[in-house]
Amino acid sequence: MSTMNPELHIVGFQVGRETYGVPITSLHEIVRVPEITAVPDAPDYMEGVINLRGKIVSVIDLRKRFGEPKTVLNRRNRILVVEHGGRLCGLIVDSASEVIKIPAAEIEPSPATLQDGRLNCVTGLGKYKGRLIVLLDMAKLLESGAARREQAELANAEARSAAAGK
Amino acid sequence: MTQFSDERGAEMRELFFETAQELLQSLNEEALKLERNPADAELVRSIRRIVHTIKGDAAACGFRELSNAAHELEDALTLESASSHGSQAEVAFTAADTFGAMLAAYRRKGKLPSSAPLAKMIRELAQQPKGKKRSKKATRAPVAPAAWTEYEKLAIQNAVSRGKNVYHITTGIDPHCAMPIAARQLVLNGLAPSAEVLGARPEAGSPASTQRLELLVASERSADQLTALCRIPTVISSVVVEPVGAAEPKAKKAATPEPAGNAASPAPSQHAPSPESGEELAGVARPSHTPMLAENILRVDAERIDNVLNLVGELIIGRSMLQQAFTEFARHVPKEILRGRFSDAMAFQSRVLSDLQRSVMKIRMVPVEQLFRRFPRMVRDVAKQVGKEVGLVMSGQETDLDKSLLDVIAEPMTHLVRNAVSHGIESAEERVRNGKPARGTIHLTSYHHGNQVIVEITDDGAGIDVQKVKAKALEKGLLTSEEADRLGETEILALVFRPGFSTAEEITEISGRGVGLDVVQTVLHRLKGSVDIETRVGQSTTFRLKLPLTLAIIKALLFRVERRLYAVPLNAVAEIARARESDVHQVQNYEVLQLRDRVLPLVRLGCAPGSDEKAGSGKIFVLVISMGERKLGLIVDRLEGEEELVIKALDDQTVATDLISGASILGDGRVVLIVNLPAIVDRHSKFRPEQGDSMVSGILLSHADRKNLREAPAEARL
Repeated sequence: MSTMNPELHIVGFQVGRETYGVPITSLHEIVRVPEITAVPDAPDYMEGVINLRGKIVSVIDLRKRFGEPKTVLNRRNRILVVEHGGRLCGLIVDSASEVIKIPAAEIEPSPATLQDGRLNCVTGLGKYKGRLIVLLDMAKLLESGAARREQAELANAEARSAAAGK
Repeated sequence: MTQFSDERGAEMRELFFETAQELLQSLNEEALKLERNPADAELVRSIRRIVHTIKGDAAACGFRELSNAAHELEDALTLESASSHGSQAEVAFTAADTFGAMLAAYRRKGKLPSSAPLAKMIRELAQQPKGKKRSKKATRAPVAPAAWTEYEKLAIQNAVSRGKNVYHITTGIDPHCAMPIAARQLVLNGLAPSAEVLGARPEAGSPASTQRLELLVASERSADQLTALCRIPTVISSVVVEPVGAAEPKAKKAATPEPAGNAASPAPSQHAPSPESGEELAGVARPSHTPMLAENILRVDAERIDNVLNLVGELIIGRSMLQQAFTEFARHVPKEILRGRFSDAMAFQSRVLSDLQRSVMKIRMVPVEQLFRRFPRMVRDVAKQVGKEVGLVMSGQETDLDKSLLDVIAEPMTHLVRNAVSHGIESAEERVRNGKPARGTIHLTSYHHGNQVIVEITDDGAGIDVQKVKAKALEKGLLTSEEADRLGETEILALVFRPGFSTAEEITEISGRGVGLDVVQTVLHRLKGSVDIETRVGQSTTFRLKLPLTLAIIKALLFRVERRLYAVPLNAVAEIARARESDVHQVQNYEVLQLRDRVLPLVRLGCAPGSDEKAGSGKIFVLVISMGERKLGLIVDRLEGEEELVIKALDDQTVATDLISGASILGDGRVVLIVNLPAIVDRHSKFRPEQGDSMVSGILLSHADRKNLREAPAEARL
């Protein structure tokens, strides 16, 4: 977070009871939830892919990603299409609220307890009008799939060598 | 050196990188010819021209090191009169490699590789024919002997034709001279009234050596008069004036030497530049060497073509949208007269669109020759390395292939060719012992076959011994002994593509194969292609690469599994069979289907039918797919027909599965996933019955299906 920029512009959205935020610069657009094509064998939080005006965009269900209890998608659900490293990715959220300006001084680094587990993509906690806003790191949020794949490959290789050993 | 604006400069460098690759390729080719034909002075000239172009272009782009190296090489090659061409070929090969490495370094802005070995070879080449005195100078100032540019040579020609004498003046600048840089101007001023200066070395403004000044002048005066003009006390210590035009006949004689005797005989003149310049005149005068075929060729960034192709893809989606809307419209208003006109217009549009698609795809097509041309050099190098005699025969170079495919298969091809030389072909003694010619041959060929391009690499070596492969696989634990008995020959041969088979060093001795073949197969599968082997022990081995014509658009068969839509490439589908659940048999926990006279292993993409409901009577569709030599049946729920799909990539990182290789968008905006068949075959072959049968059935079920089949969203989405 740059100290040159006294205020951060954050897009706030709800998942479960929490408000999360991503930098507005990484937001591409917000769309209603279209038909989602499920992808077999993908990670469980990976909801599927959508057709975004001719582009295929993967969609992650943040409820599943954060281990929130699953609910049926309703009309308030939105997909935040974010851009990171030239890739587009959709995040299913319960609802998208507003653009929030948080002074940089009001942001605390994420507590160490969040560094592991499902919330390892938190960069900090912003205080806004008495609420806490969980700021997300796009890179980490989207990386997790790759990490999982590596793990799977590793497990695969082990299984293979185990099978070969028999 | 001209300074360009950044953008302009970058563009120019990009262009240079591309042309330089071609130049290096030609350099390799010419060097190969020179190696076979050491006496051909024309080849040396051709090599020099290439090196010269590289030098000029590199200098223009500001790649000083490359330019300098090329310059030195060009100079060294001028000494053809007294050096053997064989070693020149060697130097040219090294140069091509070094230049290539330098280019790569420039391109990624990395550290430049050392050009010291090349410089050493060039120096040796330059020294070979010469006495000690001269060679010492060459090591100190390698740029010493002046090489005149094409432009200057042209100027010489012009001057000669105007009846002037052309002289090469070498002046030594007095080391005690207070202002060596001014000395140059003094000499030029002295000559100006009576002679025309065609060229000078070092060039004006060059900070290089200020001890020597070489000039190329045209004048009506005699050599003596010019010498007098140049002699400026305390500034110029020595002057040598030599006629250039007059030396021609002598140079010609020297330029076509006997290949053998020529290295031994000392150079006729200590001052090589003058016969050389004359020789160059002859070279320039020859009209044959200027290739004129590049006139009508555009160099276009591949990205631009991809953009066009993408747009065509969108149009194709649009066409299906229109088609669908029209069908519906026709149903609603069956009697409308306008229908016919609509349908005519759409048929027309559709035809043009197909043409457009084909044309755009054609732009991306390049002849495989672009790939093949690198192999003669490589075969030569590897053969030399391992001490074998190997010839390379190529055919079908004109076969077209998508450029992106070509780039990707370059590496596996290189691998296979290298393998063929080092392991496929036996040593000369062994070949002779087996009654074969000592010289081994590798055939590279390429042709179209249906919707595919086939590339074959055949060597006439010892072949692969199936028994040895089997033994090795057993030893490695890739195979149980009962499996080994069950597998056919082709299936056993396919084992060499398994990872793990290759890593062992000794396998190369036993089977003669195996280095990284799994990589080859992985790449081919990624391209939706395949690779197979055909071998006859003691006679030959053929690796056959099958590739789709393009990666962008495929004909696909659409089907449903659990009511969701999927597609497979149509050319992978051998046939479609209809059967009943009761026809499916269980053999050792594998499901199989008796299809005519063969037993087909099955993979259930959806979930297995409930044990009680409609068991035995349900109808099923089986897609028989063939991957290489293997056949596999996929049980699907319903067929949806054929469609041309524009393939769109999935975001690998979030999708994180190898089961789906891509996606496409249908006319109505629905997304269809394209099933990656090799991954399915792979899962099937890895499946071990003892691990439970969850793997082979329900491969295409998502988590949602597995966990909550009853839940509403999964249903609602259909």
